[in-house]
Amino acid sequence: MSDAPTPPPRVRVTAPRTAGGTSARPVRSSGADDPAGDIAAVYVRSLIRSQLRLAVTVAVGFAVATVLFVLAIALVPGLDDAYLAGVPVSWVLLGAGIYPLVITVGGLYLRAAARNEARYRSLAEDE
Amino acid sequence: MNPAIGYTAIVGVALVSALIGFYGLRVSRTTSDFYVASRTVRPWWNASAIGGEYLSAASFLGVAGLILLTGSAALWFPIGYTAGYLMLLLFVAAPLRRSGAYTIPDFTEARLESPWARRVTSLLVIVIGWFYIVPQLQGAALTVRITTGLPSWVGSVAVAVIVAVVVAAGGMRSITFVQAFQFWLKLTALAVPVIALLLVVGGGEPPAQLTPAEAFPPSAGPGDLDVYRTVSLMVALLLGTLGLPHVLVRFYTNPDGVAARRTTVIVLVLLSVFYLFPTIFGFLGRAFAPDLAASGEADALILLLPERLVPGPIGDVLTALVIAGAFAAFLSTSSGLVISLAGVISQDLLGGSVRGFRIAAIVSTVVPLLVALATESSGLAGSVGLVFAFTASTLCPVLILGIWWRGLTSRGAIAGMLTGAVLSGAAILGGPFVATSVPLIAPYLEQPAAWTVPLAVIVIVTVSRLDRRGTPAGTDAFLTRLHVPER
Repeated sequence: MSDAPTPPPRVRVTAPRTAGGTSARPVRSSGADDPAGDIAAVYVRSLIRSQLRLAVTVAVGFAVATVLFVLAIALVPGLDDAYLAGVPVSWVLLGAGIYPLVITVGGLYLRAAARNEARYRSLAEDE
Repeated sequence: MNPAIGYTAIVGVALVSALIGFYGLRVSRTTSDFYVASRTVRPWWNASAIGGEYLSAASFLGVAGLILLTGSAALWFPIGYTAGYLMLLLFVAAPLRRSGAYTIPDFTEARLESPWARRVTSLLVIVIGWFYIVPQLQGAALTVRITTGLPSWVGSVAVAVIVAVVVAAGGMRSITFVQAFQFWLKLTALAVPVIALLLVVGGGEPPAQLTPAEAFPPSAGPGDLDVYRTVSLMVALLLGTLGLPHVLVRFYTNPDGVAARRTTVIVLVLLSVFYLFPTIFGFLGRAFAPDLAASGEADALILLLPERLVPGPIGDVLTALVIAGAFAAFLSTSSGLVISLAGVISQDLLGGSVRGFRIAAIVSTVVPLLVALATESSGLAGSVGLVFAFTASTLCPVLILGIWWRGLTSRGAIAGMLTGAVLSGAAILGGPFVATSVPLIAPYLEQPAAWTVPLAVIVIVTVSRLDRRGTPAGTDAFLTRLHVPER
């Protein structure tokens, strides 16, 4: 963090802004008062829907993959009797095997979510 | 154990923490300095800082202890602690960053436009924070007792005092690079001993106390799975992570939603690497120190194993390293929590002044200290797991529905949070008493998340649907801000 060329000046604030999420960033959609706003709202809703669908799909996919992995550990014969450095392979697999899955799933989601946002942006900019 | 090692390590970490705390006054960032300065924080730094704040006594000591005690069922704890960040990535990270909310109460108030929703959320955050601090103080008690021979309460009091003083003085824990440093310290404090122990054990001396078949019996293995308990634990850990107050604050330091996502993926990598080491410690413990499980000192496994396997000065250095890492874990997690709690308490009850923040910091430490002194630790990983169950049943449903469902109303949110709090709270507190008389329902009380979370969601949705006032006027604009990319 110290290698940033010119850090912005520090501003001390003693309490969070109570208005909650009052972000300085302008909001694209203006609401329902004009036709362009209507279309913008439709785009936003479709963005939210596609992001939700993506998140749920990835979460369910992760859960299913985990269950299958655990079933495989439990059902493949011999994993309890084969040893890796004195530890049964079944223990090693459960102890270390799910983390690569978590990271892979996270990485895939990162790209897919960015794609959804890129699609939204190109639609909104065509406007 | 030679008490001098314990004293040196503990006093060293305490001094460094206090020094950084007072020095930090000069470059102090109180809670909201995040708003401006931290926009330059890179995802790697931020992710390290999240890891530094997140890895608590439960992760550092508890996981290995539980593996020693219960076998492979304990392996689900680190999996859940890590995969919780996957859920955070999927459902919360980017929208929450874009919401501009700084704490969960800020979020519910902005989303639901209701001061009452804010108050209920604040109350829950305070309860969750308190009960999350308790195991940290109990871990400190254990560490001090094992390593120095002093009475247990000394450890709890010492950590509580250091945290209260440091937070009240400067709130230095908000400084990203200190927390980031804590992560790498904790990782080193486990990785170096693990590698050293593996080298020693690989040489065949000392020999294992149990044969592999005895140390890792199939009856404690992955094949012998209690399905309800495992599923319920995973629900608690996966969803509970979303609502942890001290974790959430960190997300504001990301420049935008996309960076928040990238940070979270890096957190997944860091946690995955970290948890390999407590896991290996646990495996070593099963083969080389099975007696600790019988004597009820399983949580001290990480502290005791280096000395047992490597006698002499090298063992002393390794022991000092793990003690320092453990104390770093207690201090960093507790102070992260105390800062979050003090922020909420001072803002909602004391008007948000700096003096109010200081009073709140002391209150936030004293209450869990009293609880920690009055109760016995029943396994660090387990107690933290119960806090996750409570969080998952209360804050998580409101957070997720608030971000993704425009139909959420303040009445629905309040009703759901109270339902989840009462049900999971009753199960957690009353469970131990009822479970002995009616053993059949014991698992459902000891791991309540699998039924309390769905019930909380049902109550939220039903009450929101019936709420004649409908959704707040600004809902659409707010949801737009949550989901539309910044640039």
